Amino acid sequence: MFAYILRRVVLLVPVLLGLSMMVFAIGRLLPGDPVMLAAGPNASREEIAALSAEFGLDQPIPLQYWRYLTGLLQGDWGRSLQTRGPVLEDLKVYLPATLELVLAAMLIAVVAGILLGLLAAVRRNGWIDYLVRLASLASISMPRFFLGLILQLVFAMWLGWAALGGRFPLTLSPPPSVTGMLTLDSLIAGDMQALLLALQHLALPAIAMSLSPLATITRMMRASTMEVLQQDYVLTARALGIPPRKLLFKHVLRNALSSTLTVIGLYFGWLLGGTVLVETVFDWPGVGLYATKSILTQDFMPVMGVVLSIGTMFVVFNLVIDLLYGVINPKVQLR
Amino acid sequence: MERRRLLKGAAGSALAVSAAGLSGLALAQQGKKILVIASGQDIPNFDPHVATGYSASMLLRNTYDGLVRVEGNPPKVMPHLAASWAVSPDGLEYVFKLDTAARFQDGTPVTANAVAYSLRRTLRLAKGNAWMIAGVVDPNGIEATDVQTVKFKLLKPFAPFLSVLPWQFIVNPVLVETNKGADDGQEYLRKNLAGSGRFKIKRAEQGNLYEFERVAQPWKAGGNLDGAIWKIVRETSSQRLMLARGDAHIAVDLTSEDMDALKDRPGVVRILEPEFRTFSIKMNTESGPLADANLRKAVSHAFNYKGMLDAAGYAELMVGPLPPGLMSDPKLKVPRTDLEAARAYMAKSKYPNGGVKLTMVHVTGLEQQRQWSLVLLDSLKKIGIDLEIKPMVWPDMVASTKTPATTADFFPVYQTGNYADPDNVAYAAYHSSRNGNWQNPVYKNPKVDALIEKGRGEIDPKKRLAIYTEFQKMVVDDAPDIFGVLEKRRIAMRDTVQGFSFTPVASNAIDLQKLSLK
Amino acid sequence: MMTTLPLDTAELAQGASRARRDAWRRAFYRMRQSSLSIVGLVLVLLLLLVAAAGNSMAPFPDHITGGIDTAMRFKPPSWSNWMGTNELGQDVFSLVLGGARISLFAGLAVVLLAAAVGTIVGAFAGYLGGWTDEVLMRLADLKLTLPGLILAMAVAAALGAGTLNMVIAISLGWWPGFARLVRGEVLSRREEVYVLAARALGAGPVRILWRHILPNIVSPVIVKMSLDVGFAVLTVASLGFVGIGVKPPTPEWGQMLSTARGFLPDYWWTAIFPGAAIFLAVLSFNLLGDGLRDVLDPKSRR
Repeated sequence: MFAYILRRVVLLVPVLLGLSMMVFAIGRLLPGDPVMLAAGPNASREEIAALSAEFGLDQPIPLQYWRYLTGLLQGDWGRSLQTRGPVLEDLKVYLPATLELVLAAMLIAVVAGILLGLLAAVRRNGWIDYLVRLASLASISMPRFFLGLILQLVFAMWLGWAALGGRFPLTLSPPPSVTGMLTLDSLIAGDMQALLLALQHLALPAIAMSLSPLATITRMMRASTMEVLQQDYVLTARALGIPPRKLLFKHVLRNALSSTLTVIGLYFGWLLGGTVLVETVFDWPGVGLYATKSILTQDFMPVMGVVLSIGTMFVVFNLVIDLLYGVINPKVQLR
Repeated sequence: MERRRLLKGAAGSALAVSAAGLSGLALAQQGKKILVIASGQDIPNFDPHVATGYSASMLLRNTYDGLVRVEGNPPKVMPHLAASWAVSPDGLEYVFKLDTAARFQDGTPVTANAVAYSLRRTLRLAKGNAWMIAGVVDPNGIEATDVQTVKFKLLKPFAPFLSVLPWQFIVNPVLVETNKGADDGQEYLRKNLAGSGRFKIKRAEQGNLYEFERVAQPWKAGGNLDGAIWKIVRETSSQRLMLARGDAHIAVDLTSEDMDALKDRPGVVRILEPEFRTFSIKMNTESGPLADANLRKAVSHAFNYKGMLDAAGYAELMVGPLPPGLMSDPKLKVPRTDLEAARAYMAKSKYPNGGVKLTMVHVTGLEQQRQWSLVLLDSLKKIGIDLEIKPMVWPDMVASTKTPATTADFFPVYQTGNYADPDNVAYAAYHSSRNGNWQNPVYKNPKVDALIEKGRGEIDPKKRLAIYTEFQKMVVDDAPDIFGVLEKRRIAMRDTVQGFSFTPVASNAIDLQKLSLK
Repeated sequence: MMTTLPLDTAELAQGASRARRDAWRRAFYRMRQSSLSIVGLVLVLLLLLVAAAGNSMAPFPDHITGGIDTAMRFKPPSWSNWMGTNELGQDVFSLVLGGARISLFAGLAVVLLAAAVGTIVGAFAGYLGGWTDEVLMRLADLKLTLPGLILAMAVAAALGAGTLNMVIAISLGWWPGFARLVRGEVLSRREEVYVLAARALGAGPVRILWRHILPNIVSPVIVKMSLDVGFAVLTVASLGFVGIGVKPPTPEWGQMLSTARGFLPDYWWTAIFPGAAIFLAVLSFNLLGDGLRDVLDPKSRR
């Protein structure tokens, strides 16, 4: 078992290396002249040359890649041409924000999805089932940014229940930063009021993000629960007068866990990279917003940094999921 | 299942209850008076000799000081770090006597040496606002004649000199020298302050917010603010809503539609004042079909000015290259929509029947510019010209202005009034030294250049007026731009904000000096 | 036991195509059974109709090509303007109809391009195996780990405004899915009898792929294409929302929604209608795609 884990972890290395190469290639292939913007309208030719040299843009490509790679490993992920600040520092602030959003969305999706899927399966072909199926399909088709706008309109503008945007009320000091995720930090600090406020800001964007995975988990839950319900042993139990509930519980739960795990794995990476528009609508300072701003100013180091970090997290996360899968379902053959 | 539903309901009502108290709670924090300003622009750099943009100006004017301040409407130069000054009759020498009470935030006095050091650094780095005094102030002519007196020798007379000084900030030389590093202190000053202003930065979260805190012993009193927060809110409608709900006290980036929505809102004060900010569409006078002056004149007369004005909301049409208040000539005749005149000019041009395709670029995501390009498209159809609109990201637009051949036929430009002097507009927008830059990509006319230079150096106000009158006429004759609109400054404030007086220069760089919260 | 191999590969192909036709016929019969897919089909056909009709269906066709009427700004929905007017006095209904064309065209183009590229890559990877397979699939897998939307935005912004650039940018991120699908299918059919026969007769890989294998995997590819079109349309709208992609004056739903944000809640119609249009378009394609999948690939019952 340990050997297996070790092998998988070691196999990560070439993947991550390949990732960095791909990201570097994409970054360099993007045309544009961001040095001009950073230099400003009054820059002299010497200034521009100096700036180019500072960013190493005048060296041959393979050398640039090597510089990039060694920099990455040493914690130098480049500088944003806009802010002249280190990209890694920016990521340390923005990444937890996006993570918080994604995790909250997945939590909502899993909890609500399992419940709704169960409900739909148990009341099969009833009106609830039909409604749930229709809603699932609609949820996947709904553009997240449109939904976000509507949520904002109804719950923030009209009803005033949730916050309009941002992560925390302005003039109050947020809890001391441990994880970078305000909800967790509030819990760690034991500050219940801060937690409530943070949740109030997190609610709408998380709901907007959660709809797609929610729909998929609901469908999966429904399908797998229905499958279990039709199994022979359940029918047998029923025939023998044994309440099927206990059996259901164990099997349904096991199915739920493994299929949910699959969906989480599928959606995690997708969500991480897909928060762009929801972050725009809710002014949520995460990597999506950071990347968008950088794209619109042709600032390629931050974009590469964001893409690389998301890709890395995706790969690592999937490895974790795979290993968890093996633990939960020992029947799975460990290659 | 029932339990879960109950829990969800409880959580919902808890959230609703706390939401009601959200706004009030946020602002009445421990009785401190914290002014919240909502803006869309970030402040990535705190270096007073490097940073540009109105958001940077806001931070700098509250954490640093200049020799003078600008105040009032019409704008007047008032003493600040300098208590008094004298100008030589030939306009080549300025002597400033510093206010003896002036102190840096570390308690040390602001000396003439500090002033000289700061101005020299500005010129040396040649970034930020250096362009206002580049070629004007002799770097070797800055002298601290005694502890409280500093003398400037100018290379040539420069009438707006006092107007540009509020934007030349004085840094604490001791702090900068200690942290000089390899780049003249730029890395240090990017994130740290070394000023004499009333406020310092309590917390800085780039891309999110900047919190100001009043220093314990400010050398100049004013207002009752304990602090302020500059909050980055990208969407103007969000700014508007924050203001309406009381979550922000001032919103500086509102659109005309936002101002309409706030019209009779209780507790909200709207500031809608004319300013010196122009928006025009520059035409490529050097390369392409628009090099033909008659075609340009035709376009100028075909343009739907009313449509542009309608789309702009709170604005006025430009009356020429100079805005009213900056020596604009009321007798100047500018093109207005006149299709007959347009066709007459077309007939004289190289394209009497139109049939030509022109391109316009605008900044991706900038809504106003997109609307105005559609107005242009619609107008040009009427004289048989096709318009191709290309949204571009800003760096690409800047890069495209390098040469006339790469510059688009139509190029939209916002010109901000950094200082209240016609030279600000004339030099930035029409002098050929700005060619290759986005402010004035291609237009050059040596006669106009000469007039601009003469206007800069002329001290006598009557003579200046005559020069600028001639300048305007010449520019209109050349028809290098479609003169667009002068947007009114749109700021909305809560009525709890007191002490605000509008100045048509840098009004969105909120000066905390005299503000109070009720 | 030896099976007799028909010597004529053409006859082989003919038999295969007859079987395929029957499969399609059965598929459509099954599809008619599912009401949701019918709804999807009808909606998609409606969308295609709107897109094909050009500007003639719109009450104010010149607004679609950039006409404005600033005296009519922000009029709420009325009999003359069913969906009201926008910030330049343009009829929102006409713009929504106009936007259908670009969304559909771009969405379909993306999927077609991605399918084409992905099929070629996947086919060669699956058939040739070995190093080609390893390299190509590693590339595809790596690409899948990277955030698609952000990359599409970055590439589209770098290439510059314009529908073609946008389509290319988005399909660059879409092909791996098709590549893996096709590779899997090709892999499972590589050792089929008719393939071995054709190889024995000296046919090269391209011919075999083209005439024998690919025609048999049309249906899963079509299923994936139909399932993806909706998301392609969504991606196009997402790029438009950020201001990247289509050039003015061409109306695009995402861009319309983005502009309308500044006008909420007072001028709600400028936002609700384009947003609903995106939703309906994506929903119709998803319904259709789901229906097609149920029908052509009944193993994966939902």
